Amino acid sequence: MPIATAKSRLGGAVAAAAAAFIFAFLAMLAPLDAHAGLAEHEALVTSQLAEKVAFVDLATLKVSAELSVPGKPAGIALSPDRSRAYVTAPEAKELVVIDTENRTVLKRIATGNGPLGVAVLPGDGRIFVADWYDHRLTVIDPRSLKVIARIAVGQSPSGVAVTPDGKRVLSADRDSHQVSIIDTASLRVIKTVPVGERPFGVTIDAAGKRAYTANVKSNDVSVIDIELGETIAAVKVGRRPYAVALAQGRAFITDQYVETVSVIDLNDLKVIKKISVGAYPEGIAADKVGRFVYVACWEDNTLERIDARSLTVTGRVDVPDGPRAFGDFLR
Amino acid sequence: MLRSLTLGLLLMPLVILSAAHAHGPTRQKVTESVEINLPADKVWAAIGNFQDLNWHPAIEKTEGEGGNEPGAKRTLTLSGGANIFEELLKYDADGRLMKYIIAKVDVKVLPVNNYSSILRVEDLGDGKSKVVWKGAFYRGYMNNDPPEDLSDAAAVKAVTGVYRGGLEELKKKLEAGG
Repeated sequence: MPIATAKSRLGGAVAAAAAAFIFAFLAMLAPLDAHAGLAEHEALVTSQLAEKVAFVDLATLKVSAELSVPGKPAGIALSPDRSRAYVTAPEAKELVVIDTENRTVLKRIATGNGPLGVAVLPGDGRIFVADWYDHRLTVIDPRSLKVIARIAVGQSPSGVAVTPDGKRVLSADRDSHQVSIIDTASLRVIKTVPVGERPFGVTIDAAGKRAYTANVKSNDVSVIDIELGETIAAVKVGRRPYAVALAQGRAFITDQYVETVSVIDLNDLKVIKKISVGAYPEGIAADKVGRFVYVACWEDNTLERIDARSLTVTGRVDVPDGPRAFGDFLR
Repeated sequence: MLRSLTLGLLLMPLVILSAAHAHGPTRQKVTESVEINLPADKVWAAIGNFQDLNWHPAIEKTEGEGGNEPGAKRTLTLSGGANIFEELLKYDADGRLMKYIIAKVDVKVLPVNNYSSILRVEDLGDGKSKVVWKGAFYRGYMNNDPPEDLSDAAAVKAVTGVYRGGLEELKKKLEAGG
């Protein structure tokens, strides 16, 4: 996050001026965003109960298309060029490959008994699928769409994340209360890091230094130093935290049971606000420029837009039943 | 009808579950509601105390602590003697809403896992109101390929039965002036 980095290094006034200049600059470029790839223009929401993927236009906050995806879709990740979406269908025990331009299903790949979280390496595009029941990651080649490796991790891995340099994959092993760190060259677990109780979502920062897990049972977020391979802090949030998004030097956490998004200031690791959102907030993701954070509310069937600066909900759209959007769902 | 449902649940064959804490792949939701010919405040006065679910025909006894504060606990005793242990998460008297979870229940009593619920009374005007009862939960069987009585469908059916039974009885009782 270049803006956050600049802010922490410079003095207050200088930082404010610099930030203002950068924001003005971004605002100037805004009309070109869709073409320049600066900010995402579309959300792909996995609606688990409706068994659909909804395409939401982010400029108008309207559902532009719905694609039928049988098998109770849950997790999602996108190819590096955003032309494909990889959606887990746990009930079908498959990974579904979607052409995001033509909005069609290209292929369904049998992966294991409980595919859930999914992540894609930025470089070669290899796909890592967490398997909740088989306790491993399934690795899939993006060209052949064949399973090329399986990596045993802890019990019931759920969320998966990759470092921006593509060298490490992290899985949140929910029932082992740990994160496994995997080296993507050797496809081996090089370290397991104890975290809070029952980690579900895991998110890595833009610098690739820290990871954050949402711990469903201990109601906190673990902060992991990836290089050290250690948990360096825990921050209490609302009941039953599910996933984490990062923007503006802040972490945004969905608190499933209390209908809030907790906001943590990443400098001092304090909760600075709890934003009221729809019932059962689940998947959450920030756009690339850190302007907005989008959250899927499973019970209310909404996708809601949070202004990452003012920390308020500035828009919402109805989506098909049971949106989870667990993963990287903005393109 | 609800008594027989509860009894049916109690008599369900014992299923040995794995010790794992994982749950089925898909969370289920149920929403049931009933319109009552009474103002919302009156209805909320009848059901808005977390420490008293005795208006529900399947409940014999409610015991607990912590009143209506978040974190409050209650133990429900069903006709037949089984218990459900619940915890209050959120209470909004002005909005006539409470949100709570089941902290512990035997799947033979209610075939669900990770159950949370919202009970709310909406004002419809003209002296009428609507009670909405929502639940979110996983099925009773924690792994793939569940037996029929611990499937997604069984969980939805059981929770729907509990809600319908309670709401119908509540309407009858309140409108009769009970």
